[in-house]
Amino acid sequence: MLARVPESPANSAEISSAETLVPDASLLSERRSARLLRNLELVLPVAGVVFVVLACFLGPVIFPVPSPSGAGLAGSMLPPLSPGHIFGTDPLGNDILSRILYGGRVSIEVGLGSCALGFAVGGLLGIMAGFKAGATDVVVMRILDVFLSFPSLVLAIMIATYLGASELHVIWAISFFSVPGFARLARAHTLRLREQVFIQAARLSGTSDRRIILRHLVPNVLPGLVTFSFIFVGIAIVLEAGLSFLGLGVPPPAPTWGNMISVGQAYLGSDPYLVLIPAACLFFTVTCLNLAGDALRARWSSA
Amino acid sequence: MILLQVIGKRLLQAIPVVLGVTFFTFVVLNLLPGGTAATLLGQNATPALVHELTIRLGLDHPFFVRYFHWLGSALTGNFGTSLTTDSGGGSGGVTVASIIAQRLPVTAEVGGFAFVLALVFAVPVAVLAARRPKGVIDRLSVLVSMIGFSCPQFIFALLMILIFAVHLGLVPVLGFTPISAGLWSNLHSIILPSATLGFGIFCGYARLLRADLVDQMNQEDYIITARAKGVGPYRILIIHALRNSMFGLITVVALNMGTLVGGAVIIEQIFGLPGMGQELLQAINNRDITTVQAIVTILAVSVVLANMVADILYAVLDPRIKYAGQSS
Repeated sequence: MLARVPESPANSAEISSAETLVPDASLLSERRSARLLRNLELVLPVAGVVFVVLACFLGPVIFPVPSPSGAGLAGSMLPPLSPGHIFGTDPLGNDILSRILYGGRVSIEVGLGSCALGFAVGGLLGIMAGFKAGATDVVVMRILDVFLSFPSLVLAIMIATYLGASELHVIWAISFFSVPGFARLARAHTLRLREQVFIQAARLSGTSDRRIILRHLVPNVLPGLVTFSFIFVGIAIVLEAGLSFLGLGVPPPAPTWGNMISVGQAYLGSDPYLVLIPAACLFFTVTCLNLAGDALRARWSSA
Repeated sequence: MILLQVIGKRLLQAIPVVLGVTFFTFVVLNLLPGGTAATLLGQNATPALVHELTIRLGLDHPFFVRYFHWLGSALTGNFGTSLTTDSGGGSGGVTVASIIAQRLPVTAEVGGFAFVLALVFAVPVAVLAARRPKGVIDRLSVLVSMIGFSCPQFIFALLMILIFAVHLGLVPVLGFTPISAGLWSNLHSIILPSATLGFGIFCGYARLLRADLVDQMNQEDYIITARAKGVGPYRILIIHALRNSMFGLITVVALNMGTLVGGAVIIEQIFGLPGMGQELLQAINNRDITTVQAIVTILAVSVVLANMVADILYAVLDPRIKYAGQSS
């Protein structure tokens, strides 16, 4: 590979501190507005995610909504903005708002669950493989390569079918994809860090491997993993929705955004809102996660 | 010589991965609950019938014997017979190979068309965006690719159906017309699914190519030389920078194989295309494990091969890349 001299972070820090020493009114205000914009780039999407999480988990507690399933067929297919049903009702007469909120819980739980598993297990595996190098590295990475060779959805379909449809099983299924993903990322960071002076210094001064990993590697690998987490939760939510859409996720009477879209597909011509409302929620959530991930990456790579 | 070494090394790396893929698939499929024989017999399964079918399908042999038996046949292109069509057991069923021969062309056509569409649009968009970083076109392209990354393919597919098939009535909602029934109607039936698949990868290509072009334009000495000689900006972008940026794109194209193939499963289901993805879902539902095993193996192997080809092409095309003993 090409050896490219990395941009030294010390250099840019020097420049910015020099700027602060020389106060220049126009420069300052320009930088303030730029900083505000940069903050908004991160704050807005994070606020969006927080809003979705609060709405789904606290919403039904604070503002009682009808039960998401088991309503009578009497009030079925009410269009959005009907009295009592702001998003309307589905073909089985259930309130769509309520199904969106309860379905969102599934999306968030699956997204966070599979991401947390990938983060902890994959991150640690990747750091160990990168740090130990040699045979451990080759064996671990080859095994993980096997899982990465499956198209993610195909792997999830197989495992979800094998385990049977339930929320926990969907989390397991997606983790077969998240663990190798996080591991590969953590390993790449570790390989880069391993050759740096502070790690070599730690080694030379006789620091134990355990301590090097926990005190020196982990804190430096974490930012990359956290950034990826935001994006990965989005990927996992899309995968979960795909599985539900295909009927392999959480089984039907319980709502998920994916199975709501799947049900609505049959009414696409006459009542597109059945598809559009859950689709919009899915899109909004995933966009916020991606934007937050991008903003974090931009911030941490230049800081 | 170096090239042969690269190819040899990558082949050696790929073999254990391919074996791992087939083995893992075999394990999962053999652990499927309910038992293959019982599921196949359905309602009227008596213990005696189940026992008989188990023996006839060879499911009573030890696990590893079955795996190596399967692997040996698969290497010669014999994937066995589809269990669901094999009502009497033995040799009466349709071979999995013939099912795949029917299904693969559909998936390949839609995927190939999607890929061509993505590339045809991504290259000009990336060049225009890189011409003025942070300009209007650049911001627009960033916005579009952000949407593409965040919008699940099946939602995009349904939106396309809603707009182009339901409201505008330009194309049929679902179904597939084979190419033998006329090129035009064939294209008509695959344009929406291909566009859906293609949009996702277009976003990736456009974003990557744009970033790489901007990097080249800012950093590389040969660009400064070209500028100093008075070469026009588009000529520099297309003739000089694009040639180098294509290397990066090739790797991504290969890595996208997985996305393309995974997307095909859900897209074919929505558009009613008789491809590998649809067959895979049917086979999984019917517990037709021989078919599932074959399809998953083919899909995963094609991803591994694509990655390998990308690495090799990368080494061939860019003489700066050296594979001298180290792998990064």
